[in-house]
Amino acid sequence: MKRLIAIVEDEPAIRDNYAAAFTREGYVVRAYGNRAEAMAAFNARLPDLAVIDISLEDEPEGGFELCRQLRALSAELPIIFLTARDSELDAVSGLRLGADDFLTKDLSLAHLIARVNALFRRVDALRKPPGEETQMVRRGPLVLDGERMRVEWDGTVVLLSLTEFWIVHALARHPGHVKNRQQLMDAANVVLDDNTITSHIKRIRRKFQSIDPAFDALQTVYGMGYRWVE
Amino acid sequence: MSLRLKLLLLGLATLVLPWDGIRYAREMEAALRESERHALQAVSETIAASLQGRMDLLYRNADESGPAGTGADDLTPLVLTASPYIDGYPDDWPRDRRAWRYFGAPPHRFGILTGIHDRMLYVLLEADDPNPVFDAPGANPLDSSALGDRIWIGYEDPQGIQQQVFLALTGAGPIIARRIEAGEYGEETAIEDPRVVGALQPQPGGYDVEIAMPLSMVGRQFGVLVDNRDQRGANPLSYGTLRSTDLHTLGRLIVASPSLTPYLAQFMQPGMRLSVSTPGGAVLAQSDELAVPGLLAAQPGVLTQFYRRFVDRRGEPQFIASGAPIFDAGHHALIGKLEVTQAANRFEGLRDRALTRMLDLTLVTSAIAVIVTFAFAARLAVRLSRLRRASESALTREGLVTQFPETAVPDELGDVARSFSRLLGRLNEYTGYLRSLAGKLAHEIRTPLTIVRSSLENLESEEVPSAARQYLERARQGSERLNAILVAMGAATRVEEAIGNAERARFDLTPVVASAVSAYGVAFPERRFATELPPEPLEIDGAPDLIVQLLDKLIDNAVDFSPPGATITVRLRREPTAAVLEVDNPGPPLVPEARGRLFESLWQSRSGSDSRPHFGLGLYIVRLIAEYHRGAVAAADLPTGEGARFGVWLPLADLPLLPNYNEKVKLESV
Repeated sequence: MKRLIAIVEDEPAIRDNYAAAFTREGYVVRAYGNRAEAMAAFNARLPDLAVIDISLEDEPEGGFELCRQLRALSAELPIIFLTARDSELDAVSGLRLGADDFLTKDLSLAHLIARVNALFRRVDALRKPPGEETQMVRRGPLVLDGERMRVEWDGTVVLLSLTEFWIVHALARHPGHVKNRQQLMDAANVVLDDNTITSHIKRIRRKFQSIDPAFDALQTVYGMGYRWVE
Repeated sequence: MSLRLKLLLLGLATLVLPWDGIRYAREMEAALRESERHALQAVSETIAASLQGRMDLLYRNADESGPAGTGADDLTPLVLTASPYIDGYPDDWPRDRRAWRYFGAPPHRFGILTGIHDRMLYVLLEADDPNPVFDAPGANPLDSSALGDRIWIGYEDPQGIQQQVFLALTGAGPIIARRIEAGEYGEETAIEDPRVVGALQPQPGGYDVEIAMPLSMVGRQFGVLVDNRDQRGANPLSYGTLRSTDLHTLGRLIVASPSLTPYLAQFMQPGMRLSVSTPGGAVLAQSDELAVPGLLAAQPGVLTQFYRRFVDRRGEPQFIASGAPIFDAGHHALIGKLEVTQAANRFEGLRDRALTRMLDLTLVTSAIAVIVTFAFAARLAVRLSRLRRASESALTREGLVTQFPETAVPDELGDVARSFSRLLGRLNEYTGYLRSLAGKLAHEIRTPLTIVRSSLENLESEEVPSAARQYLERARQGSERLNAILVAMGAATRVEEAIGNAERARFDLTPVVASAVSAYGVAFPERRFATELPPEPLEIDGAPDLIVQLLDKLIDNAVDFSPPGATITVRLRREPTAAVLEVDNPGPPLVPEARGRLFESLWQSRSGSDSRPHFGLGLYIVRLIAEYHRGAVAAADLPTGEGARFGVWLPLADLPLLPNYNEKVKLESV
């Protein structure tokens, strides 16, 4: 069965281009221009994944509201935020809205499709019964499940976005090794500028610190990058 | 010339007021003097009229035929102010030579000066006689064979009888006066006359004799004769105002009536002199109170004397005089002359008081005007310079508008200040608009760019003729560059946002800089990096991420302006209140127009093309981050002149920030 992707984007040209790309990849795409339209459709039928632009027509943060409503309908539906501004990345700090990833519109279509595929993989992995833990990475209190893209700290699940997951994954696999920003971007399969990486790192720290205030495993090596310290 | 000076000069222009006052005082004084003169003339004419025909009042002997023509032998005594001491020395006589009368001819000549004072008649003789012959001591003065030089005094006594007294010269000292009396048998004896006192003093080429006698002895006529002998007993050479044959008087003694002086006194006023003289000009009587200070005159004060120096004209006569002739009863003949002299400054006190008051008033007015003008000028200058300072500092070099002082003063200057304020307000809005333009522009362009890029990516998946592929590739490259430009344009905005979200923490600057610099070698393999770090920790309050970004931008800048292979030095040092981070790069010195503008948004001195987009934001970001840390930035040429140094001052943690910290840093470093 083909998966249904909903795209909520007020700019028709971008919407149509994204729709075309996803269609080409074999997804069924439904595109909506505003929140009301999208909500009406979601109430009728939930998509398998939603790509939502944060600013929608006359609502500068309509995407957040839509995300909240959508999460109310389904707790497991994968949601990707598309942002035009880096500043919005900080506005959605934490997974309080329940989004699974944040991507800027600078991202190429190929990358976007790769992220969507990865998300579907994560959803699939979560649905599978826990089998052999070959993909498991354990570093002290940290447990990384590469299969399900799940992170635990001291036994508590840390809700990381996909980008954040890959950043933590890349760092924690080789503790003590400094990864520069480019390496992190490659690992997360995104093209982001330095500031965006910094934003992600900060958000990751905050998420871990919300569980363990003494968290200090993710360190900055100024001028070089970041490293995971056990 | 400053405004203050100009207005001061304007104020000084009121000094024309006292100057006018002085001129006015002068003219008033001239008028006063003129009227005084007129009044004096009237007074003198009145007194002269009262004396008309009053021979009895004028002259001692009113029944005289009249003094109309003073004869050659008439003597008019001076009115002496004091009685001379009879010692033969003429030093207590008036020095005026005009009153002298001379008789005889040189070398045998004598001059005679007569004077009266206090009802005494005084005679001073000045005889030219190279060979005075004195009587032999103890000789009979009437022994004709022993006769020496004689002085005869002849006079008509009040009864009209001719009398004579002679003085035989006996050497220096008192001379005895004698009169000759005929005895019962016709013999003559010389009898001392004690009423007449004389004294002699020899002089070079002659001798002086002083004689005094009571005026009451003398009637109308009086004369003096000198018998000059070459040797004792010789025939004398006689000359004088006595007939040599019988020693009868030839001339009159013209003396004022005793009641003239009291008469004149009734007209006297202080500071006035009344004098009556004969038609010939000899003074008969004089009532003199010129020297008496005027009733109103007081010793003028220092200020008054100072004023007077401006008002008084040089050469102004100290006295005003007026004369009037005195006629006889029939108004035919002149019988005398009256002269009235008055001190010109008789009303000096009055005048001085008026002058002082007027000048005081005008000077005080002027002074007030000057002070008020100066105060006004000073206030104006202060306000103007405040306005100037405010307008100079209103715009920072970065084009930011700082606070402009509000004023509520409802005058033109206040209007100017308010217009400035409004103007700057608008400028501020415009500057703010321009500053946010890049960020807004980047954001607005991003959406259409996303359309272009996603369209191109979709197109790549389509069947495209291979000939069209290259165009597709070029379009993709173009859009990538456009994206890079957008990222660069938004950099400052992102940094501003990052600064807004940054969390301030205390950290040691040294390891942060050290680790950052160690990474640059990898990033820029064509440059070498040297560090000069302090041994001790340098703790500041701030965000290490931002500091690294700041250093990134400084290194970017240093790399751009240095040749390949150059060594870039990163130096961290401690100043009393701040940590100083310096980046030196060899290369060209700063372009002069760059000074002070380097750290502005969108300013760059770069020329030439570069694949990387430059918006001149790098150093602007440096400044933003430095200012977030309450620090300052500066750029200067290296001392060698071959390169540039960029410095960032970051206040140390826990140190009180000097209020003028930024100013100080700028002054020291640029």
